[in-house]
Amino acid sequence: MRLFLLNRLFQACTTAFGVLTLVFFIQRLTGDPTALLLPETATQEDFEAMRKTLGFDRPLIEQYLSFLGDMVQFDLGKSFIQNAPVAEILASRIPQTLQLAGGALVVAFAIGLPLGAIMALQRGKWISRWIMGFVLACQSMPTFWSGIMMIMVFGVWLKWLPPSGTGTLAHLVMPSIALGLLSLATYARITRSAVVDELGRDYIRSARARGVKTPRLVGKHLLRNSAIPVISITALEVSQLLAGAVIVETVFAWPGLGQLTVQSIASRDFAVVQAVVLLGAWVTIFANLLADILYSIIDPRVRLGTSL
Amino acid sequence: MTMKFNILLASVAAVALSAPVFAKDLTVDLSGEPSSLDPQLQWNPDSYYVYRNIFDNLLTRDNSGEIVSQIATSWERISDTETVFTLRDDVVFHDGEKLTAEDVVFSVKRITDPEFGSPQLGQFNQIAAAEAVDDVTVKLTTDGPYPALMAQLVKLSIVPMHVVEAVGNEAFNAAPIGSGPYKFETWDRGISVSLVQNENYWGETGPFDSATFRAVPDAATRLANLQAGTADLVVGLDSDGAAQLAGQGDVQVLSAPTERVAYLGLNLDKPPFNDVELRKAASMAIDNFGITEGLLGAGEIPMAQLASPAHFGYEERIDPWIFDPEGAKEIVSAKADLAATPAVFATAPVFDQRIVQALQQMLNDVGFNISISVTDMPTYLNIVRSAPEENAELSFGRWSCACQDADGITYPLLHSESAWSRVSDEKLDVLLDTARVSLDAEVRQEAYAEAHKIVRDNYYVLPMYQAAVLYGASSDLTFAPTANESMFLNRMAWSE
Repeated sequence: MRLFLLNRLFQACTTAFGVLTLVFFIQRLTGDPTALLLPETATQEDFEAMRKTLGFDRPLIEQYLSFLGDMVQFDLGKSFIQNAPVAEILASRIPQTLQLAGGALVVAFAIGLPLGAIMALQRGKWISRWIMGFVLACQSMPTFWSGIMMIMVFGVWLKWLPPSGTGTLAHLVMPSIALGLLSLATYARITRSAVVDELGRDYIRSARARGVKTPRLVGKHLLRNSAIPVISITALEVSQLLAGAVIVETVFAWPGLGQLTVQSIASRDFAVVQAVVLLGAWVTIFANLLADILYSIIDPRVRLGTSL
Repeated sequence: MTMKFNILLASVAAVALSAPVFAKDLTVDLSGEPSSLDPQLQWNPDSYYVYRNIFDNLLTRDNSGEIVSQIATSWERISDTETVFTLRDDVVFHDGEKLTAEDVVFSVKRITDPEFGSPQLGQFNQIAAAEAVDDVTVKLTTDGPYPALMAQLVKLSIVPMHVVEAVGNEAFNAAPIGSGPYKFETWDRGISVSLVQNENYWGETGPFDSATFRAVPDAATRLANLQAGTADLVVGLDSDGAAQLAGQGDVQVLSAPTERVAYLGLNLDKPPFNDVELRKAASMAIDNFGITEGLLGAGEIPMAQLASPAHFGYEERIDPWIFDPEGAKEIVSAKADLAATPAVFATAPVFDQRIVQALQQMLNDVGFNISISVTDMPTYLNIVRSAPEENAELSFGRWSCACQDADGITYPLLHSESAWSRVSDEKLDVLLDTARVSLDAEVRQEAYAEAHKIVRDNYYVLPMYQAAVLYGASSDLTFAPTANESMFLNRMAWSE
């Protein structure tokens, strides 16, 4: 087990290093942000002075080495656009995105799982077809559209919910739904196929033969056994949610990491982009690592396979 | 007891109902949060919409665009390079300290210090020295005669020397202290900045107890906030958004022409636009009126010079462009091969792509061979600043010098010394140089009039229109947008 973990940790670090190097050089392929920082009337001397102040006049490799040096010391640097330490900026944004992702997962779980189970249990009946249609709609609607539609209906016409911003639970409702819809569809489909698989198993048939009632059968046997693929899909959904947050946060003026990413890329705020990409990479790596570890606990065959 | 309670309740209700509506707080939706609240550090609208309410400037412009006093009550030019300013003596910073000549001198020295790295350095670096003569008198010395000095000083915010020196630049940016009509309250990173009224302000404060500037990146969401009543004023509206608001009783659309001039830049060293006849054909192919009325519709005004009525140096007598596609076709058909030279039209996503595509089509319709190349903004800026042989054949731009003086737009775009310019005309250079250093307004005006005419006659660049800015506002709010795109809270009011 320890060997397995060490092996995975080493892989994770290599991946993170690769991500860092890529993001450092790709960002700099098309120049630096000096032109964006200066007014249109700036002269060539102003440009040179600003480049020097920001350190962009140094050779690229030198910039890269000092960047790696900072990273080793966990120094994320300073944003020259926002004039604040990157760590501070991230710290203010992470809780917002966690809230949003949490809300979206709740929506996806609380609605997706029951829908999936009903679709499986009521297979071939009209209700299953209706739900299938709904799930398909959730999956197909682009977030920027469903978000704006919700704002129009619930924020402007009905005035039930604040159209944008953060602060209260009411603010969280629409962004969570907008972000959660796609995951909801995924969960509903996965749950449906898992439950359908389980329904055909011998233990279900024998339980039915023993006279176990349907609610108990579903609650005690079916859902538990169907949960394994659902848990493993959650690891993938986490990175999905981070990607989706980019759009949802922009539409709902939600001050999380997604919005920060878009703004920082547009303004070439190198230090912030590097930190956000690095964070995203680590989250994805850890979610997958966690899923692997969970697998190996649940299913010993995985562990043996890797250690050999 | 019950009776008493009822009376009490009634009087509370009466007070609540009669509470002055004009004290209502203001919520403004910007497209992004301020990059900085240090007025000398960053230069973009989302920043100065906010910090111009926290700080006083040495001078300001009134709503009609005239340069008027703010911290300086009067000023006198004592020689070609020296100007003496007399300051108000009743201005205190938000921490209670008095604003003196020392603070003005400090502000000038700070923004002109290359080490400080202000993006506004180029607007102020002609000031060679600043000196406090006494507590209320400051003498500024420029490194030569500099007629645009007053226009630049409109943007010089006065920062408190004692605070900046004590806390340092970073802490000052996080919690700025100024002398303006509103005090900094909180900055929720990524969410909003809140200001509260400064009761001790020397002038008019405006009606708001507090004002909140929120970052709402999506234009449709800003519009929804306005319609839902959760925002009182929103920026960055386009004409489609304005049309959506039309006919709704509780909201209004406000617009003003700005000091940005949109133009089509031509590469004069490369075919096809190294040929003056073809440049003329291009000018005839473009339907400026169709673009401003049909596409934009926010109150843009067609221009045939690199200046606007909001600038000093605007010349009324310049002939407008003549839209004549048939005439353009005739010229082009005589030089069909040259006109068909593939030409690249450089642009960036920040510019309205509808205009770029309309221009491309209008030019191709008469026989040019234009293709659009969209790059990100920094790349675009590098392309249009590069040498003629590496430069694109065409580029669309909207130029603002934030000084409302023709110098800030004609010099960079037309003088052969400037990196932005693709023009090399000795006579034009002389005119622009004369206007740049002359302190005689008449001489300057004449030089610009002639310069505009040379540009018009040679089709060096094709000015298109004076851009306009649109705001959406609650119909209760009185706000007069200005050409310099400022949002002075102390010039707003709630209507009854």
